[in-house]
Amino acid sequence: MSDPRELPWEPAARRCGPIELRMPADPDLVSAIRLTASAMAAARECTIAEIDDVKLAISEVLLALIEHGSGHPLCVSMELADSTFAISGSTDTLTFDRSHPDLALCETVLAEVCSDHSIELAGSELRIVADVPLSRSDDR
Amino acid sequence: MTDQRGGPLSVDVDTSGALVVHGDIDIAGGPTLDTYVKRSDNRRPIVLDLDDVDFIDSSGLRTLLTATRRAGERGTVVRLRNVGTTVRRMLEITGTADQFEIEE
Repeated sequence: MSDPRELPWEPAARRCGPIELRMPADPDLVSAIRLTASAMAAARECTIAEIDDVKLAISEVLLALIEHGSGHPLCVSMELADSTFAISGSTDTLTFDRSHPDLALCETVLAEVCSDHSIELAGSELRIVADVPLSRSDDR
Repeated sequence: MTDQRGGPLSVDVDTSGALVVHGDIDIAGGPTLDTYVKRSDNRRPIVLDLDDVDFIDSSGLRTLLTATRRAGERGTVVRLRNVGTTVRRMLEITGTADQFEIEE
């Protein structure tokens, strides 16, 4: 018989999620999703600077999906693994302009706060991935 | 005067005419701020007090840049007051700090 004091799973250093959402393309909901992402990062003891980067990254992803999508619902996933807060999102688009200056500004911000990011058109679907680097828990 | 419509951002106008911004300048809050900027006195600098702004994204920055363009068309400027680390970082990331007068 196993020791009841032992956890039945291997506790991961810092994992949370994935949290997957399907939401309307509604600007008023962006702050709620930003708060969710911030809470995920805070619950796993990310630094204030890391939480700020996560808030910025999720906001830019949602911004691009809302502004460059067709107005149909957005699909968003957020997952914190030990050294990365991974965000991905997608929505339908009708007239996606890859060279739009607003998108360029968005990408400038994503490039600053993410170790990796991409904005791609797959058929009629706009897909955005943004990975925010986190310091490993055993580095701190 | 406080406007709570259109999301979490609200704006007060202080006795000097400065727009005191409360909340996040993002895709939801930017349009509210833009409404106040449009109502501003045509001849005077547009002063934005950002002491109570905890977050800004690139859409919020675009709102500020639009304010600068409007002010320029009137022959005046946008002056940013009480710029915190979050807004300052956004200006630095995007290289747009020189688009504004920033009170130190």
